Amino acid sequence: MEEFVARYGFLFVAVVQQALLGLSLYFPLMAGQLSLASIGFYALGGYVAAVMGTHPALAPLRDALGFMIYPVQWLAALALSVALGVALGYPALRLRGIYLALATIAFVQVVGVAALNMPVTGGAVGIFGIPQPFESRLAYIWFFGPLLLLTLALIHRLERSGAGRLFFSIREDELAARAMGVDVTFRKVQAFVTGCALAGVTGAMSAPFLNTWNVRQGTFDAAVACLAYVLIGGSRSKWGALLGAALLVSLPEILRPLKDSRMILNGVVLVLACVYMPRGIAGLLSGRDK
Amino acid sequence: MTRVLPLLALLLALAVNALAEPVASPIPIGVAVATTSNVALFGEEQVNGAKIAEAVLNAKGGVNGTPFKILYQDTAGDEAGAINAFQSLITAKVVGIVGPTLTQQAFAADPIADRAKVPVIGPSNTAKGIAQIGPYVGRVSAPMTDVAPNSLKYVLSVDPKIKKVAVMFAQNDAFCTSETGIFQEAIKNLGLETVTIQKFQTTDTDFTTQVTAVLGAGADMVVISGLAADGGNLVKQLRQLGYQGPIVGGNGFNSTNMLPVCGPLCEGILVAQAYSAQADNAVNKLFVEKYQEAYKKMPPQFAAQAYAAVQVVVEALAKVEKDSGKKITAMELAEVRELLNKNLQNATFLTPMGEIALDADGEVHQKTFFVSQIKMNPDGKTGAYVIVNK
Repeated sequence: MEEFVARYGFLFVAVVQQALLGLSLYFPLMAGQLSLASIGFYALGGYVAAVMGTHPALAPLRDALGFMIYPVQWLAALALSVALGVALGYPALRLRGIYLALATIAFVQVVGVAALNMPVTGGAVGIFGIPQPFESRLAYIWFFGPLLLLTLALIHRLERSGAGRLFFSIREDELAARAMGVDVTFRKVQAFVTGCALAGVTGAMSAPFLNTWNVRQGTFDAAVACLAYVLIGGSRSKWGALLGAALLVSLPEILRPLKDSRMILNGVVLVLACVYMPRGIAGLLSGRDK
Repeated sequence: MTRVLPLLALLLALAVNALAEPVASPIPIGVAVATTSNVALFGEEQVNGAKIAEAVLNAKGGVNGTPFKILYQDTAGDEAGAINAFQSLITAKVVGIVGPTLTQQAFAADPIADRAKVPVIGPSNTAKGIAQIGPYVGRVSAPMTDVAPNSLKYVLSVDPKIKKVAVMFAQNDAFCTSETGIFQEAIKNLGLETVTIQKFQTTDTDFTTQVTAVLGAGADMVVISGLAADGGNLVKQLRQLGYQGPIVGGNGFNSTNMLPVCGPLCEGILVAQAYSAQADNAVNKLFVEKYQEAYKKMPPQFAAQAYAAVQVVVEALAKVEKDSGKKITAMELAEVRELLNKNLQNATFLTPMGEIALDADGEVHQKTFFVSQIKMNPDGKTGAYVIVNK
């Protein structure tokens, strides 16, 4: 048991962490918007935490705050994500479907290029030696776990409240929603910014979890991986992101004993999942036609 | 979830009391390198080197007669993968770990091993700050600060009239950006003038802008930190557009994969190396012979450094036995890990790279470095790195 925990503790927390990223895509998807910007905000949040955790100029602040520096990092990441999310959301959400996806992926690239060129982010090497709040990897569940519960509770509440229903109305038919008097742009931005904020905070929690932070955390590949969590898991249910992340993150690790053939089997499982579960795992489990 | 959290807390409490456990026989040594993803080319070479080390050193009796066994784990190319691979090896009760492939992965995974008090030897992590991660982290790969400037010194010794230097580097690659910093500092220390600094991306294929700037600045020497494909194309365009002077490449040019890219125009590029297959010592001769037997080609630097890393661990284990008078397999795992780490530091080893010494920090000090020049074969696709500084 002890061995199991030691080996899979990191993985368990990584699943929760990636599920949070998946959920950050689920928020805009609730309003029918396919945005890939999450990973950019994730990278941004990570840089906020990494810089606050390592920059020599902030040493007095760290000494004064002690453990409380971590919540402060989350708040800083949250504030920055919300501000940038609003600034990006209003122009970008005029675009629809694939064009919105393109615009948001462009944002991810911009964050990457900025990180490469700013001295404070350490260029391509990134930032390392980030202080650790916990000894064990598994203990990071005290960061990600409550955030996940909070997010699920928020979505649960949203789905039953007016705001959530407005999101769904836009998802089902934007024109009809507009005709009914829904402030479509505002609602879209609201859903989008919530997702950005979640991604930013997840990033801020992830920087100490990974020990190091660099440009490779926020690449196009990572954005696609996030999207895959939602699509494989099911894009119409909050459990989709969770199930998708659990499957996609843990599969290569669980298959580790198979050595070289594990990536092949991993691919086979993904292809089968796409072919036989068009509505994702969550769709398969719910069994309803919707 | 409400039932899961107390359970987790309980598990956490359990995880703290590690039980005393013996070392398995054959002695398990972990190798965690990238055998999948886009760095797999390097990782495969490292696995090859480690396999040769396993065969050669076990044939010589392993650790004073006890054989050792290498457990391989794939780190893939990302940070999470490296952490998972390290975690797997630590729970598999290895005495020490050789890995990971990339410096960035080392920054993520080495602290995990350090906290678990498992010695780590980096076979290919060359950036600043690796050995300083913790007391259980060391490396056999000489930092770029030691290797890179050698090629510049060689060029100056051949042509002392050189004054103006152009620096070019791949801005989106961690290795290249750290390396160019070292080159630029070395250029300054050698009293040369940097006339232009040009950035490019490892994905670029057209370098006209950068090359024009270099030609316009009238550089006598070009120093490039890039990887095989982009570096090869850059050299090709430099020569095609009329640059005649010496070209010094960084460690990324230290790969035969570059030769087909710039073809005959690769001729004459200078590269500083931590390892050369032509190095004249008995350990290297045996290594080259066995490597050629197994893989039908000359061993690259990555393979040699992985061999050295395994060798260093095995030799330190042998010293643990000698000092304590007990067999490793009769000792407790935690004790072996601690003693192994002690014996890895402040020690000297004769490896394929020549004599190397690890200091109290785990930082490597290598005695000889090589400067090689590329000599292309008449077919224009293959060539050799010929040592010039001996």
